[in-house]
Amino acid sequence: MKASLVAASVACLLPMLASAGEYNLTVDRVEIDTGEFVKEGIGYNGSSPGPVLRFKEGEEVVINVTNNLDEMTSIHWHGLILPFRQDGVPGISFPGIKAGETFTYKFPIVQTGTYWFHSHSGFQEPDGAFGAIVIEPQGREPFRYDREYVVQLTDKHPHSGDRIMRNLKMMPDYYNRQQQTAGEFFSDISEYGFMNTLRDRLAWGGMRMMKADVEDVQGFVGMINGKSPDQNWTGLFEPGERIRLRFINSSAMTYFDVRIPGLEMTVVQADGNNVQPVNVDEFRIGVAETYDVIVRPREAQAYTIFAESMGRSGYARATLAPEEGMQAPVPEMREPSRLTMADMGGMHGMDHSDMSGMDHSGMPGMDHSGMAGMDHSGMSGMDHSSMSGMNQAAMANMEQASMSAMDHSNMAGMDHSGMVMSGSGASDPFYAEGSGLTPVAANGGKFLSYADLKAQSPLYDEREPTREIELRLTGNMERYSWSINGVKYEDSDPIRLQYGERVRFKFVNETMMTHPMHLHGMWSILDVGAGQWNPVKHTISVQPGTTVYMETEVDAPGQWAFHCHLSYHAASGMFRKVVVEGGPESSPAVAGEDAEQGGGA
Amino acid sequence: MKVSKLIAAVAVLTMPVLAFAGGSHGGGHGQATPIGEPGDASDVTRTIAVVMKDNYFEPEAVNVSPGETVRFSIVNEGRLVHEFNIGTPDMHEAHQAEMRMMVDHGVILGGKLNRDMMKMDMGNGHTMEHDDPNSVLLAPGESAEIVWTFTAQSNLEFACNVPGHYQSGMYGDVEFKANDDMQARVH
Repeated sequence: MKASLVAASVACLLPMLASAGEYNLTVDRVEIDTGEFVKEGIGYNGSSPGPVLRFKEGEEVVINVTNNLDEMTSIHWHGLILPFRQDGVPGISFPGIKAGETFTYKFPIVQTGTYWFHSHSGFQEPDGAFGAIVIEPQGREPFRYDREYVVQLTDKHPHSGDRIMRNLKMMPDYYNRQQQTAGEFFSDISEYGFMNTLRDRLAWGGMRMMKADVEDVQGFVGMINGKSPDQNWTGLFEPGERIRLRFINSSAMTYFDVRIPGLEMTVVQADGNNVQPVNVDEFRIGVAETYDVIVRPREAQAYTIFAESMGRSGYARATLAPEEGMQAPVPEMREPSRLTMADMGGMHGMDHSDMSGMDHSGMPGMDHSGMAGMDHSGMSGMDHSSMSGMNQAAMANMEQASMSAMDHSNMAGMDHSGMVMSGSGASDPFYAEGSGLTPVAANGGKFLSYADLKAQSPLYDEREPTREIELRLTGNMERYSWSINGVKYEDSDPIRLQYGERVRFKFVNETMMTHPMHLHGMWSILDVGAGQWNPVKHTISVQPGTTVYMETEVDAPGQWAFHCHLSYHAASGMFRKVVVEGGPESSPAVAGEDAEQGGGA
Repeated sequence: MKVSKLIAAVAVLTMPVLAFAGGSHGGGHGQATPIGEPGDASDVTRTIAVVMKDNYFEPEAVNVSPGETVRFSIVNEGRLVHEFNIGTPDMHEAHQAEMRMMVDHGVILGGKLNRDMMKMDMGNGHTMEHDDPNSVLLAPGESAEIVWTFTAQSNLEFACNVPGHYQSGMYGDVEFKANDDMQARVH
């Protein structure tokens, strides 16, 4: 009787508790053990990664952050929509949290989904200062699952972030272990001839880039939930259950290609926003992105979660299994991709004139494999001759296999021009045509493209943008200097937006690296050509040689950070302050806090 | 199955009457399967309302008895195209490949359903028509009815096989209850 009364009164209190949660985080020096090396790093509540913070939509959270370090710190709530003074970027949102002090964040939770948090000070984030955020909706999720796991990836490096930055500044290829060698030069000569090989090397040298620059910081250990491949983080399941995996890429620099051999994954969320479900065999997760997938292992066996880095210089591995200790085979990493001339398609100001005599067919080292799939000869059995006028622009990622047996000759009026072929050939409208980076699923199946992402439920009404702002992503690899429109952060003026406008951002990647661009405080509506169904994200990857558009409803007053989320790119200048002028509760810009330490994404 | 009976069984309210010619998806929805059969409206004992949301059903389970004839009154209250399909898990899986093709060909585009394209001859006598009596495909705002007789206890689900929807949980269980009255009526 008494017990039930207690239970009843506790139940009455619960709604109150849920609407005003108080959370405590300490920022601590921690030890990070990758199995290969043990490294001092930074974590929360005594570990890296820190805890999973579980919030509820509609809750008013109070988070006390105590800085136990002997240096300044900060926490940025990545992807959360909140008042700008709670956004945690020193020099833009607030001054930062001094050593020994406690700072109390306070903001309402106005969204749902998978997010993360991390330090925005120096290189504390690459040193381990990050954790996950899971926000439950007030109503039901638009999908079902029996259990869920956070799968938080990182690229733990034996060197501290400060040391990596110093080394990159001194020698930009310091961590590039996959450079083409003299031996490769001579083998290319025997294969392609001396002049072709020499011209190729000269062309790449002229770009101040190297073909192996897919990843500029190699030599890391891929980690999942704080465990190395050998330490093998394991999530348990009962066969037949649906499992929601919340993938978060908290890496400093590394994109991962993620697959679970033997399981199809249904992508249901990207960057915290639900998307119309897409069944895939593999997906690429950019730095700072999140993807939620649902998998359904039916067999009582172990499955490997395998995440190899985009440049194939390392991998993370974990396991889903019915029992602790079970393991499945760990695949070999695939051959590293090489950048191609297509990946420099966006590089302006380059003198291509001395390339005129080049025989591109013999261009050594150039990876045409991504284009092999563009060979339409395999479609010879298909008669498209009488098709005209039917707009099939949305026909992305059609499997050739399913078409091979079809005779389309009677389909009057069908226009396959927008059709993107997948299957054996790599093609993705978000990569330059012929790019060496275009991903291909290891099993030949479906690889997720940005083009597949459609909002499950549009967040904003569609409307014409009020204006367009072009942001050229620029850099000089030889000086390890990264910038926007050729101007580094310290020399730049803020981007000024007016509250209430809808701005169309045009990213033009003029470098040969992929840049995950992250706008704080407001959503990035990625233009995939789906109109009102365009997906809403917080981080948008812009591949080399491509132009990508996103739109932002300017609905958050204050000032915000906008930067490449590769830690060492942000810190070396690919960063902007955005000032939103006007709007309700407009707060004056923080005076006298100029941005000397905005970096350290 | 006679065409007239099929039309009685599947009364799709908000679209032109489907033509039942052709092999539809050609995908093994034969009547020999243990899923039951199109019912006779006069045998209907009750109506079960099924609401399609993005992307789940309400309710997510129905109780039926062997031999019972049920009218499913289905309405799509979502903003996306959804299917209601009675079948075994294996049948749903097989059907998903066909639905994949409909998406690939632009027949299903998020919230739009191109019914004209569904009738198009693919050149081999097949169309992408979605006219099996155990299922309906509904655009947002549309509704339909299926009269279905559950013949024998079996492992059935009602499901939406639009790509990704079933996998992410848009299905419901058909639970069989022992019902003496129903058993009596069958015998």
